[in-house]
Amino acid sequence: MERMEIKLTVNGRKHTLYVSPDRTLLEVLREELNLIGTKKGCDDSNCGVCTVLMDGLAVKSCTILIPQANGHSITTIEGLEREDSLHPLQQSFIDHFAVQCGFCTPGMILTAKAILDENPMATEEDIREGLHGNICRCIGYKKVVESIEAVRDGEYKESCGEV
Amino acid sequence: MEGLIGKGEIRIDAYDKVTGKGLYASDYGNQFPNLAHMKALRSPYAHALIKKLDISKANALDGVMYIMTGHEPGLDWDQFPKASIIAKDETLWAGQIVALVCAETLEIAEKAVELIEVDFEKLPAVLDYYAAIDPNAASVIDPEYETRPLGFSDRPGDRASNRVSPNVVGSFKMHAGDVPAAVEEAEIIVEGEFWTGKKTASPLECANAICRYDSDGGITMWSNGAGVHGVIKQGICRILKIKESMVRIIQPYMGGSFGSRLNPYVEVITALMCLRTKKTVSFQFNREEVFTGAPSNWPCITKVKLGAKKDGTIIVNDYYLAEEIGACVNNTFFSGRLSSSGAVPVYRFPNLRMDTCAVATNTVPAAEYRGLGCPEGEFGIECLVNQLADELGMSPVEIRMKNIIDKGERDAFGELITSIGLKKCLQSVADAVQVEEMPEQDMGVWKKGRGCAVGGKQNTPLGRSEAEVWYNSDGSIQLFISCDENGMGATTALAQIAAHEFQVPISEVKVTKGDTAITPYDNYSASSRTTYNTGNAVILACEEAISKLKIEVARVYGLHPSKVEIKGRKAILVGSYVQEVDIPSLFAPTSMFTQGNWGLQKGTPVIGHGLFCPAPIHQWDENGLSDRVWNWFQYSAAAVEVAVNEETGQVKVLKIASSADTGNPINPKLVEGQIEGGVHMAIGFSINEEHVFDANGKIANANFSDYRLPTILDMPTNDNVHAFINPDPLPDGPYGAKGMAESITIPVGPAIAHAIYKAVGVRVTGYPMTAERILALINEKKAKEAAK
Amino acid sequence: MRFDKYFEPTTVEECCSILKEFGSDAKILAGGTDVVPRLKNKIWRPKAIVGISKLPDIDTIAVQKDHLVLGAGARLRKISLEKSLEKDYKVIMEAAGNVSSMQIRNVATIGGNACNASPSADAIQGLITMGAIAVITGPEGTREVAIEDFFTGPGTTVLNAGEFLLRFKVPAPKPGTGAIYKKFAIRGDTDISIVGVGCRLTLQKDGTIEEACISLAAVAPKPMRAIEAEKLLIGKKLTTELVEQVGEAAANSCSPITDQRATAEYRKEMIRVWTRHAVEEAEVRAKSKLNEN
Repeated sequence: MERMEIKLTVNGRKHTLYVSPDRTLLEVLREELNLIGTKKGCDDSNCGVCTVLMDGLAVKSCTILIPQANGHSITTIEGLEREDSLHPLQQSFIDHFAVQCGFCTPGMILTAKAILDENPMATEEDIREGLHGNICRCIGYKKVVESIEAVRDGEYKESCGEV
Repeated sequence: MEGLIGKGEIRIDAYDKVTGKGLYASDYGNQFPNLAHMKALRSPYAHALIKKLDISKANALDGVMYIMTGHEPGLDWDQFPKASIIAKDETLWAGQIVALVCAETLEIAEKAVELIEVDFEKLPAVLDYYAAIDPNAASVIDPEYETRPLGFSDRPGDRASNRVSPNVVGSFKMHAGDVPAAVEEAEIIVEGEFWTGKKTASPLECANAICRYDSDGGITMWSNGAGVHGVIKQGICRILKIKESMVRIIQPYMGGSFGSRLNPYVEVITALMCLRTKKTVSFQFNREEVFTGAPSNWPCITKVKLGAKKDGTIIVNDYYLAEEIGACVNNTFFSGRLSSSGAVPVYRFPNLRMDTCAVATNTVPAAEYRGLGCPEGEFGIECLVNQLADELGMSPVEIRMKNIIDKGERDAFGELITSIGLKKCLQSVADAVQVEEMPEQDMGVWKKGRGCAVGGKQNTPLGRSEAEVWYNSDGSIQLFISCDENGMGATTALAQIAAHEFQVPISEVKVTKGDTAITPYDNYSASSRTTYNTGNAVILACEEAISKLKIEVARVYGLHPSKVEIKGRKAILVGSYVQEVDIPSLFAPTSMFTQGNWGLQKGTPVIGHGLFCPAPIHQWDENGLSDRVWNWFQYSAAAVEVAVNEETGQVKVLKIASSADTGNPINPKLVEGQIEGGVHMAIGFSINEEHVFDANGKIANANFSDYRLPTILDMPTNDNVHAFINPDPLPDGPYGAKGMAESITIPVGPAIAHAIYKAVGVRVTGYPMTAERILALINEKKAKEAAK
Repeated sequence: MRFDKYFEPTTVEECCSILKEFGSDAKILAGGTDVVPRLKNKIWRPKAIVGISKLPDIDTIAVQKDHLVLGAGARLRKISLEKSLEKDYKVIMEAAGNVSSMQIRNVATIGGNACNASPSADAIQGLITMGAIAVITGPEGTREVAIEDFFTGPGTTVLNAGEFLLRFKVPAPKPGTGAIYKKFAIRGDTDISIVGVGCRLTLQKDGTIEEACISLAAVAPKPMRAIEAEKLLIGKKLTTELVEQVGEAAANSCSPITDQRATAEYRKEMIRVWTRHAVEEAEVRAKSKLNEN
């Protein structure tokens, strides 16, 4: 099958790739760009573990065909860490024990970022509505919501900067 | 407690996980440029003969390297983990491997699988206990089962005889007191028959392994399986007859297990393919395969009869249990003993009779799932205790406080209960939810109710754990352990123990884990044993290292070692003109030109090794009784408020309180996280999760669309989720700790069941308590009332 | 290879000609949330995938004077949050918002939801209750089809070879109209519907029902109207008894199947329950519309 030129900005860096158009964004991120922080859980658009941001919106990368991402800006978990600190959500997840096996964590953090970016005053109900496409088997969600609320409430402004 | 024990230290692996830097087994694929890929052809039928299997076209496909079938030479499939057995002439469940392809790319492997020509002849199948227990049922297991020699994980004495059906394997009986007489004496009897559904643990990371073929003919494997030493390496060496020196197993970060990975159903077959092809191979299960080709839990049928006095004192429990173990061919591991274990350590049963067995079916072979059958085995007991309370006009809290066994008593087996904090657990949750009061009904068609329950889970003595500690010449500390880190935080808790022993912050301890070439032996993380077993080993290792350090320091200053205290980089001396010493400064500097061959030398750590193994069990007598059947018990209580929709049968959990006695917590934040997670998992399998079968006996909902795992919306809002820790220290646990977190899942289902009864007046007899089942019960009740 | 060729036409003509050339061997890619999983599971093995995101105005959401235009490529989440739809087209927002989770709705499209033609589809129920019109274009030109005639069976539509769905037009509701869609699934929006009921009622000033539309999801090979149930409502005022009868009639009018999600009996029962709720709530909305004017 003929490869196609795909231009992607990933975590702020521009990439020009030549890949088969039948690959998914998840496959391209993991296999072409070695960005293995984005995980494969069900490969069926249900578990949310593969969530990345495309132009700031949360999407399930296992269900995005790579031509759909052509010309767009992708943020993966690797793109959140700052030079001298973590992103507030990352630090908050650590501090609030919202990480156990960690497999849902990248997708969960990015979805949380999408929720707060769109709605900085998101209530618990808004957070629950935004997260119901992300399955977690370990945590029971309480600490995840607490982490997100802490960032929403400005507890990380000083140490980690703006969301 | 001073120091680090009992502190909520931040997880040592959290940074790796929130940044995406932590590598899981499938993340290693990119490192192997010529990685070969395995793909399985699986049977679509619950029970079938393979009439024809033609792999010639598949073999001819360019890029195909090897195709393995059940007739692979030089193998004894009986030795293999059940879920990985490649069928020879007969497939025993829908999902069993019929052929296994290895090819240069995943795409070629998938194409090759499609080119394999196979004809099946469907045979009668049994899909559940009731079908399997029929004396005329189709047989799932080998007819020669009773005379086969015992296998590796077999328990002597648990093999069934006088089997009522060809599918019964394993049996366990015990009788304490005189049950028939006690039943006569009882002033009130409650009884029932209970069932539970078949479920898949569904950790988010699919099972996978990458096995590298090393140039000397050995193998190195990265896998998310459990037990690098005790399960995977020992399994591979024993089954494939390879030298221990030639096998190295590494466990990277693991995306959850919940017991499902305790069977090396990926690793052994992957190692085999690696050795056959002499190439580096990868076997990545997809999600459907995790349902159909990886072990599920084992459902239980229980028939329970409780007899009590009018004041609520329970005097007898007549208990039947059958474990439904799927297509575990020639099994001698399951007998009902595990699942029925929860019937003993919770309540005082002066008369207890247990008659249990295991039954094979043409479904996915079962393996460990959080709770090891106790959530299934205790459901009926808890429902009946609640029913007893209702019939006697007692509160469900009161009746339990009356009957829960106390520390210092002996349970029905004869075991001494040395640690039980269950009454405090029950009180905390009862208060949090105000379970003894009816909630206000203010939700229209949603009717509210509250319920509670308790549960207990044994820890089995499961062999030894070892740990190694290095006190480096600069004072930095390293810990080497092989227990599993499924995500529960074991490595953090163990690092905390080491840091506490040396009196340093946890950041001073670096942990290396899960690499059989580097880290010492451990069996696996099962039965909640890690904190207890490996924790004790870590303490012993630290004590040895500290003792050696004391000797070295003491020698320098002419003191007796007992006059030296090690405090991180410092040694505190008593009786010398020197108060305090910087230990690293005592290590002789590195030099090519000074010949030193004793004492502290830079570059050579002071090493401590610890080995801990629990005391052995005491073989039971002809009544099944013994004063040491299990090791210790963890306990949990749960109270819930639910709302039941009278029109749709849906059940929503509005409030949940869960409490755990897992001994003194090493890290209470980790324990809390396990409580909240365990509760969420239990809500899922109590209300929604189960395998649904199609006409061929294949799982019809083998995906995350239709297998209804709980989402965040199934959990109450944060203010309504309460986790309590009510520890009762374990005398031989590390700092009084036990382990967790299986007991958490046990009381959630029966608490919900009783809350449903309080809400809409129907009693469930099993779970999952799906909307359809609840609505049918509600309608049945309406019809009965209308008929009056 | 999941497919052989990928196209991304920039004009409608180009798109039609590709579709004509490949016929049933081509699949359109809009949001991909139905297409991509099927490509991965090899349920579909098309020769060509035709991405429509570059077609002009394909993702329009525009409220005009007397109708609403929704481009086939309009994203479900955008529709569900579009404030300009709140006044007259609320049910369309809500039904679009009932589909799965945020991540899916960010990419899934209204056209995809329609052309995938699942009988359980939620987003299109908003369109059905509002009497939307599908605008289809092909090599022979453009034609319009009422949305209820658009579906021909599970997964099939009236689209001929070479044709594709361009947009929907939704006529503005008459005064006194209220519409609602009730999705019923065990885990809420996350799940595929067990049943769904959409209802639109238009009331006269005195509350008499002038027009009724009851649309059922997931209980037939395609979305179906509960005609007998609708007839019971016309010319009447809503009472508790009437609501019960309407629910009963709707349940009797369908023959759902048993599958891994639910039994036929349960689906029928749920139609009875949720038709009642849909009718009651549509009437409340219609009454408030009456009071507005």
